[in-house]
Amino acid sequence: MKIAIQVMTPPYSYQDMDSAIKIAEAALNKGHEVAIFLFADAVNAANSRVKPIRVDRNIPKKLEELIKEKGLRVDICGLCMEYRGLAEEALIEGARPSGLPELAKLIAESDRFLSFSA
Amino acid sequence: MSLILIKYGPDHPAEGAKLSSAKEADCAVLIQNGVYWAACDALKDAKCPVYAIKDDFLARGYEEGQFDIELIDYDALVELIERNEGFVG
Amino acid sequence: MSKKVLFVVYQSPVGSVWVNEAFRTAFGMYGEDVEPALLLMNEGVVALARECKPERLGLLSVKMVQRYVKRYGTPVYAVGEDLDAYGVRDVDEGFSAQTVGKNKLPELFRQHDYVIFM
Repeated sequence: MKIAIQVMTPPYSYQDMDSAIKIAEAALNKGHEVAIFLFADAVNAANSRVKPIRVDRNIPKKLEELIKEKGLRVDICGLCMEYRGLAEEALIEGARPSGLPELAKLIAESDRFLSFSA
Repeated sequence: MSLILIKYGPDHPAEGAKLSSAKEADCAVLIQNGVYWAACDALKDAKCPVYAIKDDFLARGYEEGQFDIELIDYDALVELIERNEGFVG
Repeated sequence: MSKKVLFVVYQSPVGSVWVNEAFRTAFGMYGEDVEPALLLMNEGVVALARECKPERLGLLSVKMVQRYVKRYGTPVYAVGEDLDAYGVRDVDEGFSAQTVGKNKLPELFRQHDYVIFM
């Protein structure tokens, strides 16, 4: 089953990214194909330059692990990146700058779509 | 059949509209601050089964069995996602 | 079969970006087999006020979406009780919004595969 999850709020300020990662990991472990679409301030979840304090979780690193080890797909709204000054070279490995056409494709082609409201 | 995802508590303007759209065949999941609904009488009027994410519930200082709500983990949430084609959230 | 998606905005059109982002996202759906619609509720209904002009504060205009609403024929709904509650007396017809009662929201949600609050 193809499952897509949209996140809109900034990581660390809110819990959406953490929840999305837990859902994604549980779904990947069951053999589902999972894509996370980062929209608005959520794009910072794919910023490799994020540096949380040592006792806190590293969200971009966790996303990168799921991409590399479990095949998670991470798409990022390109316009949202530009608005927030997030350069492509700062992205975690495997995350893809995309846009609303890709979100539309995810909605059209996924078997399930979830979103965390702003 | 839709999965209704509630991530804010009862005081939030959007969440009541989501819950009141529920039909019997749907299911609602309280996630993050949505678990505060578990302490709220309004939840008794929900027309569909309602679950709460156990980790989010316990992390906010509640105890298992404190309220009349079934606690679920993320594997169970994925099963609900599998079973429900529609989504409200 | 095309998927029907209702984007719901409950936050104010002035001081938050979600009215603009919901319309932008909706218009981005037309390249795929997705039928988008918009619902404005709570403070979101203020977007329909003829004199609602975030640009007076240097913020992005909400009226810029009107020509796309017209071009695509995107359905726009607003909760009637909220129009009254927020004192929106002079509705800008450029949005071609249809008023729905709160009691009809479950039915409106039911007509869509995904209801995405933004």
